[in-house]
Amino acid sequence: MSTTPAYDRNNIFARILRGELPCRKVYEDEFALAFHDIHPLAPVHVLVIPKGEYVSQADFCAKAPPELVVGFWRAAAKVAHDLGLDPEGYRMVANHGPNGGQLVFHFHVHIFGGRAMSHRMGNMPRPDGAHESRKGDRQA
Amino acid sequence: MPVYDRSNVFARILRGEAPSTRVYEDEFALAFRNIHPRTPIHVVVVPKGEYVSHADFSASAPPELIVGFWRAVGRTAAALGLEQRGYRIITNHGSDANQVVFHFHVHILGGRQMGSVSGPPGPGDGT
Repeated sequence: MSTTPAYDRNNIFARILRGELPCRKVYEDEFALAFHDIHPLAPVHVLVIPKGEYVSQADFCAKAPPELVVGFWRAAAKVAHDLGLDPEGYRMVANHGPNGGQLVFHFHVHIFGGRAMSHRMGNMPRPDGAHESRKGDRQA
Repeated sequence: MPVYDRSNVFARILRGEAPSTRVYEDEFALAFRNIHPRTPIHVVVVPKGEYVSHADFSASAPPELIVGFWRAVGRTAAALGLEQRGYRIITNHGSDANQVVFHFHVHILGGRQMGSVSGPPGPGDGT
């Protein structure tokens, strides 16, 4: 039994892709759209979504055509670069299914930047910066 | 971006010079257990090629390696039995993200509920 839901064409990211809902666009090409998260968990928090109907990372990896897989991940890197995150760094996160805490079932990658990230990779960043190490503060 | 260092620990694992507990391997990627797991299941997936980071890999790797690598990430999660309950994948680029080993790698985290995006952190998140 799979718990992966069928793709729902009315999910919020599908509606953003169709232009039915607004977004603060950061980047767009033929493979991907990137926009600011409306509830940012870090000073920079952008979502990158592929232009195709894929529920999750697993679904995307298994089914997307090669040119879309390459185009999507290159777009994600370009977004981080264009946001000026390359020198200081960034974290990319994709959540799959219930244990991942996936909320919208259109595959998406979070890009977090603008401050040092926690070593606790099981946590998402928090808006108040709790759990995040200060610059140069390397935890054990 | 630092220059690729061929003596980094993941390069040594790929060459068989350092030990690892392998969970998946194909012509594009190798997946092995993290020796300091952050979650009950914590696996690292590395591409078979000399790339410092996600940015380097995405910009410089040939298309067939990019596709092969990401398909291998999905296959590794499936091989670990994580598809139904779910998992999180993370890649860290540079100092803000605490990238420690400068051979591009993706973490697969599973085996418990991760902290959610907008809700409260899950059990074991150490709040």
